Amino acid sequence: MVVDLEDQHNMIEQVSLQYGVPKLRYLAASRTLHGEKDVDNFIEPMLDALVRPLTDEEKEEGMYSPPAQRILFEGTLEEAEKVYQQTKYIPHPMNAPVAIYTDGLPIVIPTEERVAEMLKSTSHKPDEVITYQSDRAGKKGGVVRFMPMEKTATVEKVAVNAVMAGCKPEHLPAVLAIAESGCGTGTTTFWGQWVCVSGPYAKEIGMNCGVGMLDPGSPANMPIGRAYQLMAINLGGAVPGVNRMNSIGSPFNSGGTCFAENADGLPPGWKGLNEEYGFNKDESIILVMNSGGYIIGNQFSPGGYRAFQKSGHGGMARRMDVKGVPGPHNWLEYLVPQLWAGREGGYTFIMVPEMAQHLYDIGFKSKDEVYEWLWEKSKEPLKQYRLRSWPDEGTNGWLGIERTSGKRWKELPEDYMVPVVDSPTDNCIIIGGGDEEVCQQLCGRRGQLGLAPVYSIDAWR
Amino acid sequence: MAENEKVYKCLSPVGMSMPVKTYPLAPRLDTLDGKTIHICITGEPDITLPLEKKLRSDYPNVNWTSKKSYTPTPVYLTEEEIKTTDAMILAVTW
Repeated sequence: MVVDLEDQHNMIEQVSLQYGVPKLRYLAASRTLHGEKDVDNFIEPMLDALVRPLTDEEKEEGMYSPPAQRILFEGTLEEAEKVYQQTKYIPHPMNAPVAIYTDGLPIVIPTEERVAEMLKSTSHKPDEVITYQSDRAGKKGGVVRFMPMEKTATVEKVAVNAVMAGCKPEHLPAVLAIAESGCGTGTTTFWGQWVCVSGPYAKEIGMNCGVGMLDPGSPANMPIGRAYQLMAINLGGAVPGVNRMNSIGSPFNSGGTCFAENADGLPPGWKGLNEEYGFNKDESIILVMNSGGYIIGNQFSPGGYRAFQKSGHGGMARRMDVKGVPGPHNWLEYLVPQLWAGREGGYTFIMVPEMAQHLYDIGFKSKDEVYEWLWEKSKEPLKQYRLRSWPDEGTNGWLGIERTSGKRWKELPEDYMVPVVDSPTDNCIIIGGGDEEVCQQLCGRRGQLGLAPVYSIDAWR
Repeated sequence: MAENEKVYKCLSPVGMSMPVKTYPLAPRLDTLDGKTIHICITGEPDITLPLEKKLRSDYPNVNWTSKKSYTPTPVYLTEEEIKTTDAMILAVTW
């Protein structure tokens, strides 16, 4: 007997079927009633479900065999467009139709000929099942399960989705590398997926790592980002209101988000993402992030930033107490008080080359030094940390162990300094964008190095 | 044949699912009295604390057992516990 919340009924039914108990009994608790009243309402039907005799339907056993088909449709392109644009109605909590095969926008029809052309850009066979190409995210050779429905896919299936997204054949190795991630979408709250290419491949296929790299316009960034979302829908079976319960949603997922690192903009000695993860400079990788939350822009005007660095004038200089003192200054100091005021965890800092150079000039000779500095700055007294929401869950109701001390949370003094970022490398720095002085912080941790979601593009050429 | 009348084979983008064997629900209990019923608590203490309290007070003839997690991921029963448990309530899943 399962007690859920009303809007989760679709997911309960789907997961029950997925795990072979399609007639599981469940009922809903309330999102709003006081607990005691709520329990009064559902306790009797809940216990009745344990003793009420099974119906004939509930006694049935059998096999659930979803159809596996290579050809979805045979006909003209005009007819095909209607087939691929089919929708189905999703009841509460969506109460609207959702596209079955697409993100809601028109797609390129994946004819056999177009898919064959796409497949020419990889040495992998069309019928090869997508498997882990290294031990980084799974066991090398292990079959990748696409979430949330734990489906599998072949190289051809990935190519079909790449065609639909508008990819060119040279984009396929990146799309295959994304596929290796399993294209997770998260379940509740506000998950957002984005990917970043690091290495020479970005230039090879003409990716935008400069001004407006997160904006529309790039014929490389856009379709690769979109391919992630189409794979999540088609290979993973992600459906909003059923198993993708982003309460409001994320703009990262609307059309997909893909961009590239500007390796030429790195200060001397600073590693690119590929090197951070143990690859060589000439190797190409893709960072696949499923991060909670959105983007926080820098909290200063670019002109104010220039005045701060050039001559020590303006609001930034006043706050940092360097009035009249020319830079370089550590502009991250200006951001720190706001960074973790409303949320915990790591950020990805996308900063333009000039601002990274300023950090280098004031003494940060590597990204690691910046990561360590940010981590130290994230610490706050336990007394203050207790006033946050997520730690109730992350600490298992404060019953668990605090990682930096190795002690139980309840044994720690109130002035113990707790980092609100799990580890220095939960933060991430990516260099990109134009000349205008801007830093954007993408919410969400990237996990520990070595366990992080990084996939080789070269392995899929 | 005009170009717009040409017939194409269009491929399916949908991933592959393994067939799933489906099982009937476990047999129901003839009575609650004297049975061991496990409460698998997954978060939502505003609901699960009064739930456990009321179950224990209003149904004293049941041998209630429980394991708690503050997260949606349950604490699993051991093989031995499964053998001696007659029914389970999972709450609140989300």
